[in-house]
Amino acid sequence: MAVRMGFVIITSRCIDCDACMVACRAENDVPIGRTRNWVKSSGVQGQFPKVREVFQPGNCMHCEHPPCVAACPTGASQKRADGIVIVENSKCIGCKYCVVACPYDARFANPETGKADKCTFCLQRLEQGLEPACVQTCLGKSRHAGDLNDPDSKVSKLIAKYPTRVLLKQLGTGPNIYYIDEAVPEIPEGK
Amino acid sequence: MELTWALMIVIYLFTAGLSAGTMITSNLAFLYGGKDFERVGRWGAYISPFPISLGLGVLLLDLGSPFNFYRLFLTLQTRSPMSYGSWAILFFTGLSAVYLYLWLPEKHQIIGHLKSSEEWKKWLAKSMPFLSVGVASYTGLLLNAAVRPLWNAPLLPVLFLVSALSTGVASVILIATLSPWQRVRHKELHALTKADAILIILECLIILIMIVMGRLNSVSVSMAFGSLLSGRYAWIFWFLIVGLGLILPFSLELMEIKDRVPVKWALPVAAGSSFLVLFGGFFVRYIITYAGQTNGWLH
Amino acid sequence: MSKVYTWDHLFSRRQFIKGTVATAALGVSVSAGIGLLTPEASLGTNSSTQTPAMGIKYVTTICEQCVWRCGVIAKVENGVVKKLEGNPNHPHNLGKLCPRGNAGIETMYSPDRIKFPLIRAGARGSGLWRKASWDEALSYTTEQMKKIKDKYGAKAMMFNSTDNLSQPFFEILLKAYGTPNYGTQRSLCFNAMTTGFLYTYGTPQPGTDFSHCKYMIFTGRNLAEGISNNETQEMIEMVAKGVKVVVLDPRFSKTASKATEWLPVRPGTDSAFFLAMINVIVVEKLYDETFVKKYTQGFGDLVTEVKVYTPEWAEKKCEIAATTIQRIARDFAAAAPAAIAHPNWRTSNFVNSFQTERAIAVLNALMGNWSQPGGLIPDQELSTAKLGVLSHPPFPLAQGIRLDGVPWQYPMVPLAYGVIQTMRDNILSGQPYEAKGWLISRQNPVLSIPERQKTINALMKLDFVAVIDIQASDTAYYADVILPESSYLERYDGLVPIKNKIFIRQPVIKPLYDTKSSLMIYKELADKLGLGEFLPYKDELDLLSQQLKPFPVSLEDLKRAGHYEVENFEEDHSKDFEFQTSSGKIEISSNIMAQMGKKAVPTWNEPPRPEKDRYYLLTGKTAQHTQMFTQNNRWLLEVFPVNRAWLHTSVAKKIGVNTDDEVVLESEVGKVTIKAYVTEGIRPDCIFMVGGFGHVSKGLKSAYGLGASDSALHKTVTDPISGGSSLSETFVTVSKA
Repeated sequence: MAVRMGFVIITSRCIDCDACMVACRAENDVPIGRTRNWVKSSGVQGQFPKVREVFQPGNCMHCEHPPCVAACPTGASQKRADGIVIVENSKCIGCKYCVVACPYDARFANPETGKADKCTFCLQRLEQGLEPACVQTCLGKSRHAGDLNDPDSKVSKLIAKYPTRVLLKQLGTGPNIYYIDEAVPEIPEGK
Repeated sequence: MELTWALMIVIYLFTAGLSAGTMITSNLAFLYGGKDFERVGRWGAYISPFPISLGLGVLLLDLGSPFNFYRLFLTLQTRSPMSYGSWAILFFTGLSAVYLYLWLPEKHQIIGHLKSSEEWKKWLAKSMPFLSVGVASYTGLLLNAAVRPLWNAPLLPVLFLVSALSTGVASVILIATLSPWQRVRHKELHALTKADAILIILECLIILIMIVMGRLNSVSVSMAFGSLLSGRYAWIFWFLIVGLGLILPFSLELMEIKDRVPVKWALPVAAGSSFLVLFGGFFVRYIITYAGQTNGWLH
Repeated sequence: MSKVYTWDHLFSRRQFIKGTVATAALGVSVSAGIGLLTPEASLGTNSSTQTPAMGIKYVTTICEQCVWRCGVIAKVENGVVKKLEGNPNHPHNLGKLCPRGNAGIETMYSPDRIKFPLIRAGARGSGLWRKASWDEALSYTTEQMKKIKDKYGAKAMMFNSTDNLSQPFFEILLKAYGTPNYGTQRSLCFNAMTTGFLYTYGTPQPGTDFSHCKYMIFTGRNLAEGISNNETQEMIEMVAKGVKVVVLDPRFSKTASKATEWLPVRPGTDSAFFLAMINVIVVEKLYDETFVKKYTQGFGDLVTEVKVYTPEWAEKKCEIAATTIQRIARDFAAAAPAAIAHPNWRTSNFVNSFQTERAIAVLNALMGNWSQPGGLIPDQELSTAKLGVLSHPPFPLAQGIRLDGVPWQYPMVPLAYGVIQTMRDNILSGQPYEAKGWLISRQNPVLSIPERQKTINALMKLDFVAVIDIQASDTAYYADVILPESSYLERYDGLVPIKNKIFIRQPVIKPLYDTKSSLMIYKELADKLGLGEFLPYKDELDLLSQQLKPFPVSLEDLKRAGHYEVENFEEDHSKDFEFQTSSGKIEISSNIMAQMGKKAVPTWNEPPRPEKDRYYLLTGKTAQHTQMFTQNNRWLLEVFPVNRAWLHTSVAKKIGVNTDDEVVLESEVGKVTIKAYVTEGIRPDCIFMVGGFGHVSKGLKSAYGLGASDSALHKTVTDPISGGSSLSETFVTVSKA
């Protein structure tokens, strides 16, 4: 079966420390003022003292039907065979159409390179058999990445065991970040 | 999200529509206006290449990697409105320059004048409207394809087309009124003003339908339109667009049509109302571009 | 006349060319786009001391972005540090780094690093400096120190340093110099907790076994934002496993958002909650009778004392329902011995925080959780490898009493903790004698001690102030001489033994600038003071070799591996139940307290309350910053740009503000302007702000003037028993700016 790279993010384990954001910045030379990933907060909901707050990390969804790829006028924005969506810098003219086309606001115009920029799944790390930087550093073991089509992968096992949701399902983008909100007492073994 | 597409893109969207509208105005005047509307045809032809050239220049400056721009023309990405739009604009701009040349008086046609020039002029006048409609409405399709709450509106390309026509007519009125040479006559002015007034009504109708459809849509879309009606963009929408850009020029044009304008005020009123139409057209592009980006999907 | 620099000259932001060491080495082209001046990259531009080596290497060292000191593996590419990742072999972080650890690269490459020794060229605090050589700066420092010693005695010179890996050598220096005056920041943080547990168990800081715990009560301990890496990880695992976690906090912290139950306790009344829990447990006989009989003393007195502390009584004090207190007490006891009332961390809140800690300590004892799975872990000193020590001559007798009032004003505060706020007060008052000089290493008293203005005045009063730091802290701002330390990624520090492993901090790259490790600064100061024999090492490698002597491993091997595992290391648990108290038992009734004529068992002391229209001022941490150290780190400012005042919705409505509107907070001692954050997640009688912002040092270009400082608002209130400052006894008004 074809490889389908994606993320599983367990929101119950996220404490909004933002280590993932800083690690990504270091790993990928992300310029100050821009970010490739984020942690969003629901804000404090409810009324004192019955309140709650949940956190939701995110990054490029490496969608099945990425609007950014359809939008690109030069073919710079591409979806690889393994599902990872990338920007071929040599073809990118910096028109920023893909940036405004992404409903998750996952892309940005990189002022230093002049190109469209986004999460690359830390390709340079995958090549060395390493996990993406954000996954590696996550204190709460909230972020996980791998081949969603491989039943032996950590991400597949998590999806098989717990209910998941995706963002903006109604737009038909087919995002490949699956969110688990339930408590996950033990992270399964896997690739 | 914060703003990625800013003033440069607004200018581009505006000038593309303006050139397209001006071209169509010229074409229709030439094909159906006869001798009485020759001035309109001429002015339209003279104006048309310039706004879009300015827009393209500004667009080039906005690119993150401008030296790579030629990549646009190494391929045709069929799913990208920006791709086929770029090709359309390429042809449009080139042909509008040729069209302008064909309208020049013989003594100014330095490259040479062929007997078949009139044929070509006619052929262009017949085919350019189609390309112009493409150029005018593609900007709306461009925004449609970028799935954002405000840009999803299916009537957006129609709005941009009507607005392009309206600003096109207005620009011809404006230049033709102000220029001492080849100044427009009363009959031409009257016809153009009538046309523009009808276009304004049409534009108001389209905006109304878009807003109603938007407010009845999902929460994200409803909120996006809400920001135009009562949110941070409200003053631009009501004051600059509806007030100054639609109602005021329409009222002036109505007075002009009903011959309520004293003769000595005729030209200033025409110039004023047409300027306001251009002003309003610019801010329609502005508000859609900006509000479209600052309103995202709730998730 | 050597050149005079201003802060702007020292930390110029003007970089016209985007080329840096890294980009030059990697051949990255200058950015395209409309050639506007781009801010310089986060990497340093002073490459003169660095020769880019080709290829990639990994160096294992220890983080210093906070006091937890996690293991770090640094990736160096062509002489540039590109990435920091956790060392999986280090028990403090198990391979993960928090946001601050990840941002260590920016700490090192910050354009606001002090690049050479500075001597002030204008009035103190004027911001005019001249560059000095190390020899000159060190000579100047030691001349001043000698002058003070000769004229006023060694006691007139104060030595301050905060918890760090070279602190033992700083202590040797000050003891060799002969001063009694040693200022750590402990009384701003731990004192109530450490003295509370010391008097109960004889151990200041027992560990907690999160992994087997079945019921945990946190009192303000906010592991999600006051990150102690592995403990934070363990807390998250605990929550994920479904362990019952109760959080007492007037504010809905991020830990509270993960907890099973959040109790918005009234500030200062936590002891009422715990005393009532003890009441229920005693009355309903839910305690471990065997354990109590065998290992504790004073249980009878406790029973008498807690008779009045019924849940109904407590409800009136702490505003937690009596039924809740009863339920928690019963469930807590049912989980014993895998039930922990967490000892806490920063307890500088109220004068009665000491009693709160005593109550917590006693509660744990009633559960019999000492040295049990899921309970408290006895002192780990015994189970830690012993490094080789330096031999040095005996220290001279320190002449004079300590300025910080220990023990003559505070007889019960351990010498090692001190009372830093009293030290500062007595500099100002000149009683019992005048202080003349201050050597401050890796500490920022201006922003940490309450009543900031007083600290500045104290600095201005002294004859001589020398500061050792990597950046121009607010205290360095007021110094006469700044001795720049190399950042942690550029230096050696003393070895760190943790249980059976020994870890090394070593330079990942050579220092970028003309800076030194504090080990060498202390050594060279000692040499120039004629005290060289007290720090008998040639250089850092010499010192580390001496520390490594007891072990069959070379320094080279240790550097390569990053750590050494001691073979045949046995954890010694034989003394776990030998309590280092005067009775040899767990003192529910404390002999020391009795001797001092104080109530010997934990007791209730009524805390102060704000009057109408005044609010408790709470301060605390956020995961992205470390106290007052990181506010100049641009990577961390990206994830936490500025502190804001948490206002309950009703309060915000009353004064007519929304989130991000500016408000003015005013206390008895100061006033600040700060943005508001309107929320339901805080008691309506409380206002919270993250501490450490509002820097006054113009040498911190990003942090200067950013946000507001809590130290400008805090009153100086000291608990006479533990010496802990009571920061939450500051009440403030709030109004729209």
